[in-house]
Amino acid sequence: MPFNQKPQKFNAKINTVKIGTGDKAIEIGGESSFPFYSFDAPVPVTQKVGIEITDGGLEAMPECIRAYYDGASSMGDIARKAASFEGVDFLALLLDGGDPNGANKSTEELIAIVKEVAEAVDLPLVVEGCKNVEKDAELLPKVAEALQGRNVLVMSEKEENYKAIGAAAGLAYDQIVGAESAVDINLAKQLNVITTQLGVNGAKVVMNVGTAAVGYGYEYVVSTMDRIKGAALGQNDNMLQMPIITPVASETWGVKEASASEADMPEWGPVEERGIDMEVSTAAADLAAGSDAVILRHPKSVETISRLIQALA
Amino acid sequence: MTLFDRVFSGNDAVYGLTEGAINDAISKYGEDKAVSFPDTAYSLPCYYSVTGTKVTTLKELKDALGVVKSLMTRDHQLNDAFMSGVATALCAEFIEVLKYIDGQVPYELPIYGHLADAVIRELGVPLVTGDIPGVAVILGSAPSVEDAVALVKSYQAQGILVTLVGGVIDQVMEAGMNTGANVRVIPLGKDVTAVIHVVSVALRAALIFGNVKPGDAATLMDYTMKRVPAFVNAFKPLDDVIVACGAGAIALGFPVITNETENIFRVPKSLIVQEDVSKFNATSLEARDIKIKITNVDIPVAFASAFEGEIIRRKDMQVEFDGSRVDCAELVHTVDASEIEDHKITLIGPDLDEMADGSKNSIAYVVKVAGKKMQPDFEPVIERKFHNYINCIEGVYHTGQRDMQRIRVSHAAFNAGFRAKHIGEVLYTQVKNEFDAVVDKCEVVIYTDPAECTRIRHEVAIPIFNKRDDRLANLTDESVEVYYSCILCQAFSPSHVCVVTPERLGLCGAVSWLDAKATNELDPTGPCQVITKERPIDENLGSYEDVDEAVKKFSQGALEHVTLYSIMQDPMTSCGCFECICGIEPFSNGVVIANREYAGMTPLGMTFPEMASMTGGGVQTPGFMGHGKHFIASKKFMKAEGGVERIVWMPKELKETVAERLNKTAKDLYGIDNFTDMIGDETIATDPEELVGFLTEKGHPALGLDPMM
Repeated sequence: MPFNQKPQKFNAKINTVKIGTGDKAIEIGGESSFPFYSFDAPVPVTQKVGIEITDGGLEAMPECIRAYYDGASSMGDIARKAASFEGVDFLALLLDGGDPNGANKSTEELIAIVKEVAEAVDLPLVVEGCKNVEKDAELLPKVAEALQGRNVLVMSEKEENYKAIGAAAGLAYDQIVGAESAVDINLAKQLNVITTQLGVNGAKVVMNVGTAAVGYGYEYVVSTMDRIKGAALGQNDNMLQMPIITPVASETWGVKEASASEADMPEWGPVEERGIDMEVSTAAADLAAGSDAVILRHPKSVETISRLIQALA
Repeated sequence: MTLFDRVFSGNDAVYGLTEGAINDAISKYGEDKAVSFPDTAYSLPCYYSVTGTKVTTLKELKDALGVVKSLMTRDHQLNDAFMSGVATALCAEFIEVLKYIDGQVPYELPIYGHLADAVIRELGVPLVTGDIPGVAVILGSAPSVEDAVALVKSYQAQGILVTLVGGVIDQVMEAGMNTGANVRVIPLGKDVTAVIHVVSVALRAALIFGNVKPGDAATLMDYTMKRVPAFVNAFKPLDDVIVACGAGAIALGFPVITNETENIFRVPKSLIVQEDVSKFNATSLEARDIKIKITNVDIPVAFASAFEGEIIRRKDMQVEFDGSRVDCAELVHTVDASEIEDHKITLIGPDLDEMADGSKNSIAYVVKVAGKKMQPDFEPVIERKFHNYINCIEGVYHTGQRDMQRIRVSHAAFNAGFRAKHIGEVLYTQVKNEFDAVVDKCEVVIYTDPAECTRIRHEVAIPIFNKRDDRLANLTDESVEVYYSCILCQAFSPSHVCVVTPERLGLCGAVSWLDAKATNELDPTGPCQVITKERPIDENLGSYEDVDEAVKKFSQGALEHVTLYSIMQDPMTSCGCFECICGIEPFSNGVVIANREYAGMTPLGMTFPEMASMTGGGVQTPGFMGHGKHFIASKKFMKAEGGVERIVWMPKELKETVAERLNKTAKDLYGIDNFTDMIGDETIATDPEELVGFLTEKGHPALGLDPMM
């Protein structure tokens, strides 16, 4: 019997969101099929890969990543170096040093870093907060202000601080809002609803629906992303049609598989390979589940995932 | 003179001044001279917002004045007054912009004049988040310097942004008050026309934050009315020009509060006369519907959920209140807003330091609430939180509810200064914070006088409790207009949707129809959404097109049909947190119910966990259904299959819990007395044949019914 292909057609699509300005600007989203199902419908833009650096600079990097930044001395150098690696579509700056329970860097200090990084590169920028909702509510509006005109994605807008971050990034300074929820389709949708009720244009919202490293309750992530794409495309739910960006690195580099030393775990093999493996396998799974962009740290991971996307496009 | 005449005359006067000023400027600088405010992309902001036309030169300004003239219609309709008010405001903007002509610097700090776009973007964010809950525009001179300072400080303490125009600026300067954007007190200018600089802020906010298109005046005014929480405090004497400006403010949705009594016309919600200047703050907030967030609870001990589980032993106890021994009560009572004063806390009777160490006392607290969206149905929902609120106080513990509560205050809390009024403070703060969607005003009365407690308990509280219970008992699925969805559990049971009706509470047992209604009101985008019931398919099965649509939507397409009253056809799904499961028992044509606490075997040959594995996860398994304990005695319990007379077996403990209500339902429906005596339990049989023997002996009605499958 001959094979009869029946394409799964959806009369809905994910919003296309442009990040950055000029030649290097990228678009994410735009698909009207499940991830990599290019046999069902043409996929207008491929998924994008970002490289993440943090305000902690070289000291905060695992040794195996630091080696790639040899010779960089300032945050500007680090940013330039990060932008030069193969497969990098955008640069993500994680401001985790702002956490009051951690380094507790001041907003002024972090804004200076943000500006330095922004001046060093012309790639699209994604800025992630420190995860403390009060601090982010103070810090991220300042980020949105400092980067006026760059069309950056300001992440870490949560239900607790959506007004401050949504109003600043989405209304006052015309940036893109990254709405973050914790692995639950209803919470993701509710945050989009209240963010747009605030007046933010839904076409300028990107979702971070939460993630985990593979093996760490990861099946919830798959289920959530899968159901979001299902509702967005199958039911034309426009409060779920925002593209998804997933910060993979901040999850995977903290787990024991990536961090345990070779002295402690000789049977597990080289620590660098393990770190890359965790990052690559998580990112590949996120993309297959519905992420339109992923954020990684290791240049090898970026290269690998970028090639995967090209090969499957 | 009518209010119309005053507005028109003020408008005409300002128009005349503006025309003269523009003509003077043209003769001095020529028509092509540029005019603009500094640091704004929206020059002239007000005129541009309202008309969509930018003005850059004196010639264009003169043309614009012609447009303004066209707004100045003189029929005696409300709209004429509003438009003349807007025209007055635009004239004021023209007069102000002329002050900046030729690079002049008309204002110097501490007086601001025109505010830059950057200031608006910065102020806009806290305005949107509510960190700046309102914008006060204070105009004219207060009766005294002290009055002026007190009023400004009262707003400052609430985080409200204060702008000053006219004599009040000199008054706060004289008092040596610190002013500036950083302390949220902004002197705009001493001429009345300077008021335009705050109007300019409101209108530019609409363009920047509201994406309002310049020239779309209707949307613009709708935005300022709904989203810019500004109001005007105008001190007497009010001349016609100020009255005309006031009409402009009202057109934008900003109420005007004044102490002027001569020749003034009260307009409800818009032009309010408050002769007592010390009450300007409260009157303004109420008129503009501004709610102040309370950040900390003002009590001498800590307040945190960490203290919720704290137990106070008898030896550590200073005083105790015990509803099981003496008269106590706790009550939320809805009253009219005019009957109460916000944040008033009254103690009637002795305070804690007048009670003997270790003594047992009476206490009753009545929390009176008022709000436009408050409904008596929410009272028990708020009241149920008291337990949690009082328990969060360090050194105080609380159990029970209604008139059976018990409170202990520790020696440590007492020694730290904790007194009866602090219970009121905690209740006030928490109710205002957590229920701000429905509670606008809140007052607390605490009774410790034993006679008063007796009176409150028996004459006030108990009749209200009875009324509520009657209402709950009388609420039927037929008597309400809508049902509610509940998807609280979807985090772990992705395709499950509960349809909550008055006679069928959520299967967890924790969400009644009233709870769902309150949840919806308090959090309109949250887990409980309205489900209409306008298109019934089969009333006996409890199937509705509306319900099917909702279930399909909320389960993201996983479920297509759900019936409310059948266990066999499209039964409602279960997440996994059901209190009970009922399952079909084929030998007796009945059903067996097992509750979560029951660890033994059932006549189905399955334990509770085994039944649960067939029922949870949002799947529909005809013949099995999860539900709340309360649902067992409902007249809607598997109504499609005949109702509660199908119940043939329950664990003994569960049977005892529901006996009274279930017997009543069976009596009402079938005329059967003591129905639960006919129902088997684990002490009678866990084997189906033995169970049928028992049912036959008792004459259980299920045996005579049609088989369910």
